[in-house]
Amino acid sequence: MCSAVNRLPSFALLIALSLLCSCESSDKPPFVATDIVITEPMPGKLMSAGYITLSNNTRASIELTHIVSPNFGSIEMHESVVDNGIAKMQRIDSLSIQAGSTSKLERGGKHLMLMRRTDSSETISLNFYSGELLLLSLQTSFASRTH
Amino acid sequence: MGPRNILIAILLGAALAVGIFAAAKLNQLTELRSALIIPEPIELPNFSLLDHTNKPVTADTFRGQWDLVFFGFTNCPDICPTTLQTLASIKRELENTGSETTPRIVLVSVDPERDTPAVLGQYVNYFGQGNLAVTGQIDEIVKLTAALGIYFKKTVVDGDNYSVDHSAAVLLINPDGEFSALFSAPHLLADYVNDLPVIMGGR
Repeated sequence: MCSAVNRLPSFALLIALSLLCSCESSDKPPFVATDIVITEPMPGKLMSAGYITLSNNTRASIELTHIVSPNFGSIEMHESVVDNGIAKMQRIDSLSIQAGSTSKLERGGKHLMLMRRTDSSETISLNFYSGELLLLSLQTSFASRTH
Repeated sequence: MGPRNILIAILLGAALAVGIFAAAKLNQLTELRSALIIPEPIELPNFSLLDHTNKPVTADTFRGQWDLVFFGFTNCPDICPTTLQTLASIKRELENTGSETTPRIVLVSVDPERDTPAVLGQYVNYFGQGNLAVTGQIDEIVKLTAALGIYFKKTVVDGDNYSVDHSAAVLLINPDGEFSALFSAPHLLADYVNDLPVIMGGR
């Protein structure tokens, strides 16, 4: 299980920009990201993996279609599977998070693949979209891989 | 007691000792949580590869110590670093618990096109000292993987970006350079910390 090392206080940094109006409860942001772990790129590499828990507090399903960051050339959603002893990585076009439920992106399963790091900033900005709709913007920092 | 009876007593004693030893071994092996023991250890084939410092790697490189061998690649963002991190934790845990023997961690690249010795050097050193990374000509890698039942295949993810499907298992090579046990995914620290001393100590 991944640990949220170097996690910035997630809730404090989350800016829920979504105007999704069918919130289940008025005191909960409609779309929340917690337990955010963006692994620091391996030496000589420009890629990271992202693990995160996404909660949909609305009464409607949310389709996460893409994630954008100024700190990486591209971010894809992937799924690692071990099928008959063979480790495979598959790209996911979108991630559906049902109303009132949570989706975990974790090691050995669904995860973010952040490619082509564009700068040396220790802070990473992530913008989560459903089509044209910006669901969430957040900032976090790299997590050291536990030695 | 006559000489004949003494001989019988010695033989019975020896048979009993062998029986106790065999029972102890069987009992030890039944305590394994994850490792699959290869009944007839498989000798490594002849191959010629390079390590992360550009030194030659052959079957002889795997003689003289226990090796935990994983087949992966450095552009793999999730399973490979997670597995290597787990192996590093296992090694550290064995050292901390006073294990007399600790295995070397070996990464054999299934993506030699991108995994040059220099790239591999930075990568494996990140997971600790004493690790070995191996790369080289694809046909030489295939000699090794084919003999050990390791699968890998290049797959296109997006445009020029490719991934490599590969066996998720970790192989234990004994000091005679033989493939002697296999750990299947998921790779859990507790399983290895239980099983490795049984296997390595019981040799």
